[in-house]
Order: sequence, then structure tokens, then C-alpha cells
Amino acid sequence: MQRTGLFIERAGFLQRLNPLTKVTGALLLIGATFLLPAPLTGAALLGGVLLPLALASRVARRFFDVLLKTLLPVLISLALVQGLFFPTSDPTTIAVGPFLFRRAGLQFALDTGSRLLVVAGAPLILFQTTHPGTLVQALIQSGMPRSIGYILLVALQLIPAISERAVGVAEAQRARGLETEGNVLQRIRGVLPLVSPLIIGALVDAEERAMAIEARAFNAPGPKTWVRDIPDPPAERIARITMLAALGSMVVWRVMMFFFG
Amino acid sequence: MTTSTTSQRGELSSTALALIPIAIAINVALGHLVQSVLKLPIYLDSIGTVLVGVLLGPLAGAITGLLANVIWGLTLAPSALPFAAVAAVIGLIAGYARQYGAIRSWWKMALAGVITGVVAAAISAPIATYVFGGVTGAGTDVLVAMFQNLGASVLGASFMQGAVSDPLDKTITYLIVWAIISALPKRLLARFGATEQ
Repeated sequence: MQRTGLFIERAGFLQRLNPLTKVTGALLLIGATFLLPAPLTGAALLGGVLLPLALASRVARRFFDVLLKTLLPVLISLALVQGLFFPTSDPTTIAVGPFLFRRAGLQFALDTGSRLLVVAGAPLILFQTTHPGTLVQALIQSGMPRSIGYILLVALQLIPAISERAVGVAEAQRARGLETEGNVLQRIRGVLPLVSPLIIGALVDAEERAMAIEARAFNAPGPKTWVRDIPDPPAERIARITMLAALGSMVVWRVMMFFFG
Repeated sequence: MTTSTTSQRGELSSTALALIPIAIAINVALGHLVQSVLKLPIYLDSIGTVLVGVLLGPLAGAITGLLANVIWGLTLAPSALPFAAVAAVIGLIAGYARQYGAIRSWWKMALAGVITGVVAAAISAPIATYVFGGVTGAGTDVLVAMFQNLGASVLGASFMQGAVSDPLDKTITYLIVWAIISALPKRLLARFGATEQ
């Protein structure tokens, strides 16, 4: 399991931008893939926007590495399931070895796959070039509740610790003779001895943490100050408004096409 | 000591603030452990969400589910992000199950699990269809292929796949949560305001 999340500490183009600008950009890319025709839009955004951005931010190798590793099983499954079993009245088929692929199914798989690469790629590059702490601070400063930010950051830090403890519990129960192999029923019986020590331990932790939060007056009313400043030059504000306007006009265009097209 | 989810100003209470991140980590860690150690055909990735919903109510449950998927998408599997809405609804239903007193008996918890599973399947299907084209790269894709071969549309096959997997998964999840809460010391339960059982 990954320890530090997706963030890569490197100096480049996206790393210098305000997190809000990157979030807006990611939303625009995701919106565009659903609002503009597939698969051309997906391919154009991947090759014409995400690739140059990844290169300029010096994360290109890790970007495509993670993107393909997470999406390859989905893409393969998409081509097989929809290529072979897509419900269609179009009888055209393409023979590949012993298999007859349906053309409409492959078209559907290609459209969805191109969209998927952008839908997963846009947030991926955002998180690879933005430190979680900076992102959460920028979101809180622009109006997200502080408690949500706290939950996000603490959960990020806790996942490796809890995973480690989960593995420890599994090993301890196996040493006491817990069956983790065998038929499905035997393995289902193994769930409770694995899960309950982990959760009861976590609940005791939660109680201590709650006392710590109270002791530090997290919920105290009044204004709060920040240790770090996140720069937000006027050019980026204009860029954000422009991107939102572009997204809005695409939505309007699609709605008009739907009613009058 | 406050026992409700929110304090007077609508902010989350310190108990909720402490429990929710741990529940999120439990979702991710257990989802991974169950699938890699026990290799079961279920997900068990919403135990933390249901636990928070049942202990602290609908709002805290929904926040747990939503943020768990956001974080999962952010760290390990980008494909979890689009399903954040489904996770939020799972937490919401768990919170309402608490208000109907489901925690008092195991069969009410099982019933809440079946209901949650059916609702989750119904909301997941359109997301699975329009974002992923019906597949997720997991073993359950075989079911989608089977239903499509029997004549279902992509949306229909996605729903039927969920209707097979989700109620089973959620029922087991609720029963695990029931077993754990029954085993908790009274003092700890008082902290989480679930004293009415």
C-alpha cells in the first residue's frame, strides 16, 4: 500500500499554480469529456492538454504509470465485455482469432475508454502536483468547512497506520489458528475475528483523539489564522473565471442542441 | 459532554471529528485486507461508513462515505471517486437505521443491510454505465457480461450485477457492525451517544 499518497515533490508548471485554479481546470476537463463528442474529445484532451501539462510539471512518467496501472484492468474488461456482449441491433462483427467482436460494442468501449482516461487523469495530475495540506488549506480559505478539511488530512495520515495494524491483527489471529484459506463459508467466518479487534482498537483511539480535539479548542468560535500563505495572482483568478465560463457555455450549448438540434 | 453529532453552530462535534477519519481509514484498510487476505467475492469497504452512521446519525454517516471515496480516489484508486455519491447515501441510510432503532436486534440490522444494498445498486448502475461503460475491472464484470448476453441493456445489466452483489455485501457489513457494537463496553458507547439500546 502506498505510504504518502500521490503527491510528488518536484518543481514545475502546475506546482506553482494556486490549488483552486487546478481544481477548476480538472472540473473543466471532466465536464468537456462528457459534453463534447467522444472519442475525439478524450483523445485530444489526453494528448493535447494532460500530456503537455504532465511534461511541464515533470511528472509525465509517474502520471502515465499510475494512470495505466489503475485503468488497464478496466479498459481490458471494457473491450472484452462490451466488444463481445454489447446489446445492439447492428449485425456488423469483426473477427479477432476465434472471437467475433461486435462493431457497435467496440465503438462504445472506445468512447467510454477515452472519456475514462480524462476523468481519472485530470484529478490524478491535480493530486500529483498538489500537496494535500496546501489543497485543503486553499479549499478551507475559499469556504469549505474546517471540520471537513481536518477529517481529510487526518484520514490521509491514518490509512498507512491502520493498514499496518490490520496486517498485524491478521497475523496474530492466524498464529492462533484462524483459517484464512478453505471454502467461502470458512473464509466468511474469518471476517469477524479480523475486523472486530481492529475496530474496537480504533474506537478507543477515537475517544482519546476526541479529548485531544476538545483540549485544543478546535470547535472554538472566532477567526483563525494561517501559518502559510498560498499565492493567488490576479491572472489565475481571471483564468478560473474563464474556465468556469467555458464550462457553463458548453452546458448551455448541449442543452440547446438537445431541445433545438 | 455532548452526545449529538453536531454542536449548536452546526459544526461537527469533537467525537464525530475524531471518529470519522478513523472510520475512513478502516474502510480503506479493511476493504484491502478482506480482498487480499480472505479473497472473498464481496467488498466490505463500507464498515466504517455504516459504523459511523449507526453511532452518530445520517449526517456523520454521509460525510464518512463521501470523504472515504474521495480519499480512496485521491490515494489508491481514481475509479472510486465517481462512486462517492453512492457511499454518501450508504452512510445516510445507516444513520436513518439508527433512528429506527435497528441496532436493537440483529434481524433489523440485516434488513437495513438488504435495503441499503438495493438502493446502492440502483444508484451505482447509472454511474457504472455512463462513466465506466458497465465494467469496473473487478471479478463482478463477469456478471455484467452474463446479463447482457441474456438480453439486458448495459444499464440493466449493471443494475442486476449490483442487485446480486450489494445486498449480500451490505447485509454482512451491517451484521459485523451489530456484532461489534454489541461487544463494546458501555462506557465507550456512552461517548458515542448510542446508549438507548
